[in-house]
Amino acid sequence: MRAYELMVLIDPEVDERTVEPTLGKFLDVVLNDGGTIEKVDIWGRRRLAYDIQKKNEAIYAVVNFTATPATSAELDRQLGLNETIMRTKITRPEEAKVEAE
Amino acid sequence: MAKAELRKPKPKSNPLKAADITVIDYKDVALLRKFISDRGKIRARRVTGVSVQEQRKIAQAIKNAREVALLPYSGAGRG
Repeated sequence: MRAYELMVLIDPEVDERTVEPTLGKFLDVVLNDGGTIEKVDIWGRRRLAYDIQKKNEAIYAVVNFTATPATSAELDRQLGLNETIMRTKITRPEEAKVEAE
Repeated sequence: MAKAELRKPKPKSNPLKAADITVIDYKDVALLRKFISDRGKIRARRVTGVSVQEQRKIAQAIKNAREVALLPYSGAGRG
């Protein structure tokens, strides 16, 4: 199990209230494989530094979770298939690496 | 006596120590903004005054932030 941090950029046309449940559906894959979700932080709408898919803003969300490497790769794959997800980024937070040592 | 007049370089203040920051996070846009020029380029170490290790982490964090459109790529757009 490793600690990960996921950042997703969601289409700004999506209603902000529906973001949390939809994200939760994706995160089920983590729970099903025995991982845990630590924190889901929805930043809300934010201007982009440059246009992505001809849009100049997006809904940002940051999720901290632990999972196996295979699970996090699967999560990233499934997020990429969804058209309302503009971009994803999974990183391993620096603090968690320090703790693990 | 030009040699005697060689100036000692002024010790640079480390902006990270001043802000009391240990972990450089790509989400901390306000911090990273200090390390890019107004064109969006990453500032050189001789300008920023941080250590080699810190500069490397800052550069990586800026590149991560660019990937998720938190910071601009250099050049493109409104300079």
